[in-house]
Amino acid sequence: MALQLPAWWKIDPTAPFELGPRRLPGRIWTASGCFAYGLTGHDFAAPGFASPYEGLGAVVTKTVTPAPRAGNPMPRLAETACGAINSIGLENVGFDRFCDEVLPELERRGVPTVASLAATRPAEFGTMAARLHRVAGGFAHWHGVEVNLSCPNVAEGGHDFGRDPATVAECVAAARAELPDRALLAKLTPNITDITELSGAAINAGADAVSAINTVLGLEVDLTTGQPVLPRRFGGYSGPAVLPIALAKVDEIVQKTGGKVVGVGGIATATDALKFFALGAVAVQVGTAQMRDPFAAARIARELRPG
Amino acid sequence: MLRLEAAVPEFSPVPTVSTTAAFLANVRESAGLIRLDVSLARPVPFAAGQFAMVNLAGEHSLVFSRPFSILSATEERMSFLYRVVGRGTAALAGLRAGQELTILGPLGRPFPGPGAVGGKPVVLIAGGVGLPPLHNWLTRHGRPGDLGFFGGRDGQDIPWQLLDERWQISVDERTDIPAGREAWPGRVADFAARHAALQGAQPRVVFSCGPIPMLKAVAELAAARGWACHVSLEEHMGCGYGACKGCVVPVVDDGGAGWRNATCCVEGPVFSADEIRWDRYGKPAVPLPTIEG
Ligand SMILES: Cc1cc2nc3c(=O)[nH]c(=O)nc-3n(C[C@H](O)[C@H](O)[C@H](O)COP(=O)(O)OP(=O)(O)OC[C@H]3O[C@@H](n4cnc5c(N)ncnc54)[C@H](O)[C@@H]3O)c2cc1C
Ligand SMILES: Cc1cc2nc3c(=O)[nH]c(=O)nc-3n(C[C@H](O)[C@H](O)[C@H](O)COP(=O)(O)O)c2cc1C
Ligand code: FES
Repeated sequence: MALQLPAWWKIDPTAPFELGPRRLPGRIWTASGCFAYGLTGHDFAAPGFASPYEGLGAVVTKTVTPAPRAGNPMPRLAETACGAINSIGLENVGFDRFCDEVLPELERRGVPTVASLAATRPAEFGTMAARLHRVAGGFAHWHGVEVNLSCPNVAEGGHDFGRDPATVAECVAAARAELPDRALLAKLTPNITDITELSGAAINAGADAVSAINTVLGLEVDLTTGQPVLPRRFGGYSGPAVLPIALAKVDEIVQKTGGKVVGVGGIATATDALKFFALGAVAVQVGTAQMRDPFAAARIARELRPG
Repeated sequence: MLRLEAAVPEFSPVPTVSTTAAFLANVRESAGLIRLDVSLARPVPFAAGQFAMVNLAGEHSLVFSRPFSILSATEERMSFLYRVVGRGTAALAGLRAGQELTILGPLGRPFPGPGAVGGKPVVLIAGGVGLPPLHNWLTRHGRPGDLGFFGGRDGQDIPWQLLDERWQISVDERTDIPAGREAWPGRVADFAARHAALQGAQPRVVFSCGPIPMLKAVAELAAARGWACHVSLEEHMGCGYGACKGCVVPVVDDGGAGWRNATCCVEGPVFSADEIRWDRYGKPAVPLPTIEG
């Protein structure tokens, strides 16, 4: 059944738009960590689609850290009634392999890319951004960086790091200084009383937009053992259950900070995505739903094309 | 191709398809095992050992699809064999005629094909819901000399209709064995190890799928005889196609640590038994720091 688009919706989300110094090919993106490095699934088929990338504005790649990480112990996922709790622990190939192997392959395949980066010291964001600029500055399909200041699964850095507005500003400023011609986004945690302190700090430090939200701190209990399902006890809650939380955070940011926002959290359908756009988001990201359906973001992009 | 990202492994005869399917029937094959038959909107050709991510379509869909090995398929139909263990499998058991499902498949690395076993007879050892991939292999590729072993709790636990004379059956308790059928007492790996047909110098290849303790026992059996062994692992899966890293298993690695995380859904679910670091299986991948979050 085709979605009846509301009268106010005039934008073609598969048309290019400006974000800071860069033109991105569209407004429907996949969220970091839910579509790997954007290389898996490239030749999957679905009726009516050329590929899972059709109409996508960007694949935000899995967060990479300066050194590779093996991630957290299994199990890493706990499904709940309306969402999922993950504790992947930022398993990633490391920044070197990302630069040497992943980014060139994405470029070769023409996948629009935003690179997600995490680090434990603000200066490292500058070092990584500078290397990206050197390695991929001439790439047509690498559009920007999302600094992940919010993943709740790592001990060092991560959480508390991204809750301190001054540190957020430092990280953003360090990356900005090395990214003259690419979009810079700061991904924020919702696990804080006032997210606008973070968004304000990020925008003032030079971010072109903030991505909101990362996962909400959550826990699931296995009643047979009486223990949390995840060995690390807590994980990041995502999926349909967090949609209203994400909408509230996006609204707060738009209303109070005035900065640009990329909406993330709980989007599974075109209707969900429209709610973020209604609140003023410039783009949206699809996370957990992309894990269930590699064509989720492509389907949403297609449904939201007016006319 | 990036090793961590092998999207559609080189053996795969066809790309993975995202399609819908309509529920046809749930057929009870034993006290605990149900065969799910669906009619496919598009054909999903697959190799024995590959799996599909299955979900309910539309508003009833689960947050994550569930991985199931493919028992059999034609151009129009596909069958799975499952046990109800939680929310997802309970939802499958409650399906009504015509209800729509989503299928993403085929996924993962299959068992070696008949051309890749060096002409050696194949021994297939299955426990419980580990039957589908091996049943499919034997049905499609089995030659005289290939032999299946299936282990269950008791006679009620055995899908007798599915298991023809090529399958040897073992049970923990010898109760409810139908007239004219045989079942040996004991664990399936022990049964296979002692089976007359497997004595002697004939080199063989072993395929196995079932609970981890069983797979370990089978791997030891094969190693003791110097036989190649391939096992299919059931890890928890979020996406089934390499997108989330929610399904890792420890495998041997030449690097300093001696092991690395393999992505079960893409690099597996079938692994060579000597690739797996059994000693690390189920152990924390990193020391657990006492932190929150
Ligand atoms: C490659 C592969 C092939 C499989 N083939 C079969 C099959 O042919 N028949 C069959 O009955 N089962 C099979 N399984 C296991 C099956 O996926 C689980 O039994 C099922 O996901 C349980 O879902 P649930 O909602 O009923 O249980 P719940 O425990 O409520 O599930 C909660 C979560 O845990 C995951 N989960 C729970 N148990 C398992 C498990 N053993 N393996 C993987 N994930 C699990 C679920 O996917 C879900 O995300 C297979 C698993 C894998 C990885
Ligand atoms: C399995 C999984 C892994 C994730 N990994 C990352 C990550 O590496 N970096 C990041 O910034 N966010 C990560 N996220 C968070 C998502 O990008 C997204 O912000 C969050 O899940 C909310 O959106 P959703 O409800 O659409 O999933 C991950 C989420 C999931 C479910
Ligand atoms: S289940 Fe997501 S990577 Fe394997």
